[in-house]
Amino acid sequence: MTVSSQVKQTLASLKGSRATLETFATVEENEEAKETLIRNRKRLDQVIDKFEQRLSELEFEEPEYKGF
Amino acid sequence: MPEWLIFLARATAVFLLTLFLVRIMGKRQTSQMTFFDLITAIVIGVLAASFTLNLAGNMTGTFIALLVWTALPLAIYFLSIKFKSVRDVVQGKETILINHGRVLEDKLMEARMTPEDLLSQLRRKNIYKVADVEFAVLEPSGEVSTMLTKAQQPLTPKAMGLQVGQESVPQTVILDGVIMDEALTAMGLNRHWMHEELEKIGVAPENVFIAQVDSVGQVYVDLFDDVVNVPKPKTKELLHAILRKCQADCELYALATKNEKAKQMYTETSKTMTQVVAELEPLLKR
Repeated sequence: MTVSSQVKQTLASLKGSRATLETFATVEENEEAKETLIRNRKRLDQVIDKFEQRLSELEFEEPEYKGF
Repeated sequence: MPEWLIFLARATAVFLLTLFLVRIMGKRQTSQMTFFDLITAIVIGVLAASFTLNLAGNMTGTFIALLVWTALPLAIYFLSIKFKSVRDVVQGKETILINHGRVLEDKLMEARMTPEDLLSQLRRKNIYKVADVEFAVLEPSGEVSTMLTKAQQPLTPKAMGLQVGQESVPQTVILDGVIMDEALTAMGLNRHWMHEELEKIGVAPENVFIAQVDSVGQVYVDLFDDVVNVPKPKTKELLHAILRKCQADCELYALATKNEKAKQMYTETSKTMTQVVAELEPLLKR
């Protein structure tokens, strides 16, 4: 497995977790818990952004692995 | 009128009258009855019985006695709600039996309790060592309430220094195969969502005996068909595991990459992920 495909996998997991957190936050009634969920979802957003940036760099370096 | 008819009429009338009188006396539970409550109850019972059979031979007298024995306790209850002094006299005060781990013998005497009584009451609360008790009170109802010493108290998350997630009450959304719309709307959900969730775990709505939704929307079901094994929702645990894996991945990439900028980026994200995992752990795992 190449580096970029590994990073892609992690990115996919991150996106999945983000989505789950979002669902939880939507349903959660408790304000405090909801805030925690939203705060951490935003953190995941940052991480996902960084990963995507890094991935585009990797794809530039190894164009043969571009795409899925 | 034949005699049996008189009995029938009187018994029915007294039954209804007593029921009515007892209802207006309020709903104190028998388990928290004081001695006085017990006497009142017995007297009312005896009066009702003698009224039915006309034992006293004087119906008006029995009737008045019954009225007095319901009206007076009622009046005293109202007074005792208003005034603490009345309350102390009528319902009795609690007696401290053990304080700072020491048995107060004179108080025990005052409550007419033998040491054996005390020990047996403690045993009923699963306490076999008097030394474990910091404080014990004899309630007016005759029950002993205890507070254990700090070291003997059950372990709580707080004592462990653990943070736990806030969790609201789960809502029961299906009972006996019937979807409870009120509970669903209270959570901001609807029937459509419910059907979707049931489809996910592959059960028909009419097969569900009880379904509950927890605060993050996970569904727990019990089916009429007890042979079928329903998968328990694992989304929370799974999410926690995935987040930890992502965090480990970040660390791994930080170690593996030779690009300085990327290394720094991965280290940063790894830190963020550690924060995320730590903050969500109380919500997802506990």
